[in-house]
Amino acid sequence: MHQLPILRFSLAVYCALFILFLYAPFIVMGILSFQAGPEGGPQFPIIEWSTYWYQHVLGFAPPSRVAPLPIGEALVRSLTLAFATMVVSTVLGTLTAQAFRRKFKGSNIMFYLVVLGMMVPGVLLGLGMALVAREAGISPTWWGTAFVLHVVYTYPFAFLVMLAIFNRFDPAVEEAAWALGVPPGRTFRKVTFPMIFPGVLSAMLFAFTLSYDEFPRTLFTGGSDVTMPLAIYGTFAVEIHPNLFAFGVLTTLFSFALLTVYGLLMTASVRKGRSKASGIQEDIT
Amino acid sequence: MLELLGLTKLYDGTPAIQDVSLTVRDDEYLTLLGPSGSGKTTLLRLIAGLERPDAGRVRMNGTDVTALPAHRRSLGFVQQNYALFPHMSVADNVAFGLRYREVDPVTDDAEVARRVASMLELVGLTGLDGRMTGQISGGQKQRVSLARTLVTEPRFCLLDEPLGALDANLRERMTVELRRIREALGVTFIHVTGNEAEALAMGDRMVVLDEGRVIMVDEPDVVFGRPETVRVAKFLNAYNVFSGNAQGDKFGVGAHELPLPPGTQGAAHYAVRFDTASIARGHGTAPAGHAALPAKFITSEFMGAKVIYFLEKDTGGVVEVERHLSRADPVDYTKDEPVTVHWDLADVTVFDTDGRRIYSPEALAGAA
Repeated sequence: MHQLPILRFSLAVYCALFILFLYAPFIVMGILSFQAGPEGGPQFPIIEWSTYWYQHVLGFAPPSRVAPLPIGEALVRSLTLAFATMVVSTVLGTLTAQAFRRKFKGSNIMFYLVVLGMMVPGVLLGLGMALVAREAGISPTWWGTAFVLHVVYTYPFAFLVMLAIFNRFDPAVEEAAWALGVPPGRTFRKVTFPMIFPGVLSAMLFAFTLSYDEFPRTLFTGGSDVTMPLAIYGTFAVEIHPNLFAFGVLTTLFSFALLTVYGLLMTASVRKGRSKASGIQEDIT
Repeated sequence: MLELLGLTKLYDGTPAIQDVSLTVRDDEYLTLLGPSGSGKTTLLRLIAGLERPDAGRVRMNGTDVTALPAHRRSLGFVQQNYALFPHMSVADNVAFGLRYREVDPVTDDAEVARRVASMLELVGLTGLDGRMTGQISGGQKQRVSLARTLVTEPRFCLLDEPLGALDANLRERMTVELRRIREALGVTFIHVTGNEAEALAMGDRMVVLDEGRVIMVDEPDVVFGRPETVRVAKFLNAYNVFSGNAQGDKFGVGAHELPLPPGTQGAAHYAVRFDTASIARGHGTAPAGHAALPAKFITSEFMGAKVIYFLEKDTGGVVEVERHLSRADPVDYTKDEPVTVHWDLADVTVFDTDGRRIYSPEALAGAA
């Protein structure tokens, strides 16, 4: 298609502005994280470039008037919670989507019931859960009440991803396996699952990241041992130092690392066969 | 032996298959002809166990398998779109059933490899075993699908329009191949198709399906030469079928009257095969023992060894006439030129008001 140069130019500018807008907060935070410490504050101008606040976060800086971030245990909790949520939500979401491949009585109502978990405001759900737990005599913990709410919240996402995957899935392939005498359970493991695996990866990514920085639901149900988002919020109440920004940069880098792993796994699962086959083709020619 | 007894399947109350009873013999090639929507695929799915019938039974070698799920029936099913496993190589596709089936799986890798290799050789795919399914052509996919099924040694193999997606050249080759492979293995093929030429050419016997019912089962030459009902004649795409009514020994088609063969009172449909009719220029009368129908020329189609002429009756409606070039040279007519179609009265097939055949020519010469 032939495009007007002026149109191309304006679209490019628009795109650049969009990306700038998207990443501006992160860029500002990234710059400020290199503020001099411990006397430098969370504002411009930069007094002097330094990596002091990174050392501070990682515990290498000498003791000063700024207390270290209380995030060590919170980070471990958050990662554990996110991992557990990811596993449970993905399994549940995949199984539910599998059930929805056939119309069943009440499937419409079921659909909305499942999806409701991500529609209901988190604060209300968190508060409600806290009330229910208290009535039932259950003390709120991050691995109990909060975990349940994280699953309630992320399971619909995993379910919707898998539903979309199954929509494009050709059931004839499974029928072919059955007709070859392979029982349905083994067919699922050997045929269906490998074919839907890219979708499962996406569902896992959704569940993990949503749970990792979940705030409102955890606020009311997490109990006294806080998760990372709560720990960070807790430090706001005292005074904000650039060590928070340094920590923000580090977690964002961690997220990027996670995305990279996801991307690598994805391409590997798609390209696995292709490379194997092209090797053989070379043998023939 | 595979027996279907009164099979019926409804979809939302409308019958897709109605009271189908059929006996499939061992070691035969059975073709199943039906227009789209006649329930062909549903019938195959019922036999394969992928659908449950609402009534009727399926028996295999005397055992009732109606309640058995697909993976316990030891039937082969080659689907229309091949349904290969996209994440596996050709060899793994073929080995799949042997390795993972519930009954008698083959655990010895060397044995699997040996059987896969010999099956790939049989279907002519030697050397492609390492390819992924996305890297082979449609015809090769079709063979992989067939090999994947046949390697498990089913006694009955269901093929759902196996040649439907192939181009004409390949289709012709696979026609021969399929018969050869079937004979080599002694397995029964039940081949569903919407193409009358395929059904005629490939079947030892053929079944004609119409609106979910079996309307004729016989050898292809009998089905072609002596269709039992007018619907069968229409599906064969080889007959001009005129509907009208008989008055004495005349059959009225529009304003014209055609002579009827003896003993055909009560005729309601009158069929003439494309290849038994011939064309004369101008409007004329028929010689004794012949019937004639005035028409005008529309167009012709050159098919290589034969020419098909398309004519229009006065009352509308197309009449087709086939002229085989080994018997006669092609003749050119101008558009709308008046012609007369005539045929020997002995070549006529006549059906009564219920569509049942009441008169037909003698069996084809040379037919068994």
